[in-house]
Amino acid sequence: MRSIRFWLTLLLCGVLWISVSSCFNSSPAYINTSKTRNIHLIVKMNKGDYWNTVKLGAEAAAKEFNVKLTFKAPDSESDIDEQVGMVEDSIKEKADVIILAASSYMGLAQVVDQAAYYKIPVISVDAEVGSARVQAYVGSNGYEAGQKSAERLIQLLRGYGEIGIINFTNSSLNVDPGSTGSIDYGARDADEREKGFLNYAARYPNVKVVQISYTSSSTVEAETLTREMLEKHPNLRGIATLNEIASQGAAKVIQSLRLDNIKMVAFDSSPSMMESLQDGTVQATVIQNPFSNGYLAVKYAVEALEGATIPERVDTGTKLIDLENMLWPENQKLLFPFVR
Amino acid sequence: MTKPKGTFFPLRPQPRKRGKIRLSSKLRSIQLIITLTFTAITVAVAVIVSIMLYGKFANTAEENANLNMQQIIEQVNYNLELYVKGMGSIFETAEKQITTSQSIDSPLLYERMDTLMSSREDLVSMAVFTPQGKYVVGTPGQSMRLNTQLESQSWFTTAKRTSEISYSAPHIQNLFKGRYTWVVSISKMIQYREKGELKTGVLLLDFNFRTIDELSRQVKLGKRGYAYILDPLGNIVYHPQQQLIYAGLKYENVEPVLEYAFRSYLDESTGEKRFITVRTLAQTGWKIVGVAYYDEIVTTKRDLNQFLSWFLAVVLVCVVAVSVFLSWLIASPIRKLERTVKQVGEGDLNTPINVSGAYEVEQLSKRFNMMLQRIRQLMDQIIYEQETKRKGELEVLQSQINPHFLYNTLNSVIRLAERGKTDEVVTMIQSLSKFFRISLSKGKNIITIQEELDHIRHYLVIQSFRFKNKFRYEITAQDEVLQYQTVKLILQPIVENALYHGIEMMPDEGLISISAELQDGLIIIRVSDNGLGMSVETMNVILSGGVKSVSGSGVGVRNVHERIGLYYGREYGLTFQSEIEEGTIVTIVFPARLAGEDMDEQKEETNR
Repeated sequence: MRSIRFWLTLLLCGVLWISVSSCFNSSPAYINTSKTRNIHLIVKMNKGDYWNTVKLGAEAAAKEFNVKLTFKAPDSESDIDEQVGMVEDSIKEKADVIILAASSYMGLAQVVDQAAYYKIPVISVDAEVGSARVQAYVGSNGYEAGQKSAERLIQLLRGYGEIGIINFTNSSLNVDPGSTGSIDYGARDADEREKGFLNYAARYPNVKVVQISYTSSSTVEAETLTREMLEKHPNLRGIATLNEIASQGAAKVIQSLRLDNIKMVAFDSSPSMMESLQDGTVQATVIQNPFSNGYLAVKYAVEALEGATIPERVDTGTKLIDLENMLWPENQKLLFPFVR
Repeated sequence: MTKPKGTFFPLRPQPRKRGKIRLSSKLRSIQLIITLTFTAITVAVAVIVSIMLYGKFANTAEENANLNMQQIIEQVNYNLELYVKGMGSIFETAEKQITTSQSIDSPLLYERMDTLMSSREDLVSMAVFTPQGKYVVGTPGQSMRLNTQLESQSWFTTAKRTSEISYSAPHIQNLFKGRYTWVVSISKMIQYREKGELKTGVLLLDFNFRTIDELSRQVKLGKRGYAYILDPLGNIVYHPQQQLIYAGLKYENVEPVLEYAFRSYLDESTGEKRFITVRTLAQTGWKIVGVAYYDEIVTTKRDLNQFLSWFLAVVLVCVVAVSVFLSWLIASPIRKLERTVKQVGEGDLNTPINVSGAYEVEQLSKRFNMMLQRIRQLMDQIIYEQETKRKGELEVLQSQINPHFLYNTLNSVIRLAERGKTDEVVTMIQSLSKFFRISLSKGKNIITIQEELDHIRHYLVIQSFRFKNKFRYEITAQDEVLQYQTVKLILQPIVENALYHGIEMMPDEGLISISAELQDGLIIIRVSDNGLGMSVETMNVILSGGVKSVSGSGVGVRNVHERIGLYYGREYGLTFQSEIEEGTIVTIVFPARLAGEDMDEQKEETNR
């Protein structure tokens, strides 16, 4: 008797509860931002407009998705050991996700595997790392960027002449014997750009790449390298630079020497590069989407934490900018970050 | 005697047979009915009220939120309007100064423009260009870049096309050395004097986003809501996530916004419900668009929802508790009563019923108790009556063969035989034999009056031999009386009484007369003697068994009275009329019944 009544009452309660609560409830479908997540962003270098913009993008996403973003970068792009140490620190600090722009394709591979061992997802941004445990890559296609640069430079040279390339972070061939003890295969993005450039240039028999110089990460070094290159090759007609620092250094030399006959295709869209582009020192520049890279890397990191499947490879694209199209509204938006 | 219990105790409730009926009867219990009804009604009322309140409140909340948002956007719109107006007036001041100045390159103008520029932090640059795009004059300390392409920039072309003040879309200021900044340009064709010559040129005033940002950032439309500004062409002038939109990472559905100048609507293009409110700035045609997320606007609704759910839950629990208690209060005495009555029904008549509770139930229990008491009394009475009846019948059985009487009679017969009075011996033996035959009557209790009168006649015949003509007797009976039924052996004890107590001691000859008649459906038999009679005291105790005859045949007058009473009812029996020295009249009254009328008795006879 009592138990029957008890169950009946319970049933009544249940039915009522369901009917009442089902009337009004609906759950929102956006990413849950109630929990603060720890995401560590480790890039190649703590200087330069490019990395600053990556950071801006990451911060925009961090604000949007309630992420505590820890930004780390070594002083120099070539300081691989320090970057490895930073990743190790992040593992120790139990970061939820590590976003990494690896200075060295192979040099960071081991530490990324280590992170994966501790169940910390790793997303690589801008430069890939030689590990199969990386969840996703967000960045531009370096090979394509190199080809774009070569195409424009050769077009500017009307298909003949000597070309010098200034790239960054040494590949293994040119490693300075005493610099680091660890194996150094160079940064992946630098390799890809160079490969793209050379492969495109190889189609033109009259175009000769006479020298490839490697700068670590200082404008001063890039300037010196450019001067050396110009002295060594007086017949040089074109220079291609494959990253921001190299571009800034080379542009400075060309501007100061007023070498109007030398055509230059630069890389990235720092404000000083825009000025050089506007005053005609540099004829074109290949730009990437650093803001998008930073933003998307953090966004996918959050989504990965939420358990969503994220694309393995996200190409944020590259674009060739010259004086003519730099003021097009859509390019303005890409070239000049809207900083308040 | 293997009869089913049920028919043996017809009053006892039949045991219920099927469980289904049992269950449904349990479901019909008062407590359950009260609990369920009470709960259902209260909950239904609570739910209805809640839903009505919810609807009302939710509507109001939504309206308020909507109104609130519109007011906020209105406010922003107003502030922006003020700001743009302010910029316009600065522009006009500059224009006036340039136009009224005697020469464009006068130091006074230069100074004034410098003051104007430093008055506002959000002014980036000011300059005058010739219609060909040549720099004329501008903010002190700025130098032009190369390759500015200003002739193709929108502010320049628009100024040349119209004479009105025009506001450009956000763009990069690439004219002067220094930083590249995002600005909005105000431009207009103006007239100026250079070296006394009146010339036309384009006045440009650039201002950055500092104030616009500040004004728009104040907008708080819930946690995630925001406001953005569109120019008439659909370019985003300001957006809290401007860089994301510029980088193509975010998308704002501006098409429905552009169609209207003043509008509020619900947008679902992003998959989420969003309230969009649009206002338009009069001077620039810019649209202020407020975006609020529906699920945030309706937080009050959700809070309310949550509150009501809790409220309902609590009400439900309370109501269930109260109704269970209340129904228990009402039902438990009834259930107790029911249990007790069931016990009584099962035969335990001594169960006391002491149920306290509601007045009605108490009364019911009291009445039931009284009824039970009455039943107990009646039961006791029945038991007593049955006992007496059996005892009486046993006595009658015993009296059927009275050894004393037989011995006396046989002595008389022997004496007659010794004297050779053969005829009298024959009569005596005949009478004796008939006397006993009727006495036994095959064990029947009921005989006809004819037989009873015959019986007493034979008895009197035998006694008249013994008492040697000391008395006479006469038996008169109506013919119609004879076939009626009577309890047997009712006259013999009375006549015996009359003989032994009334006539035996009498010196004279006695007379015993017996008459039977039918009167109003009653049989009235009178036995009268003219003997000694008896006192009133004796008469009073004679029926309650106070007087015991030793020499009698064993069946007393009281036995007769009781048997008649038990068989026909208490109102029937014997009455005495007596007077000392005069005689006694015993009247027997009982209802006239023919054979076969009394089925019960017949049945009982055959059953035995």
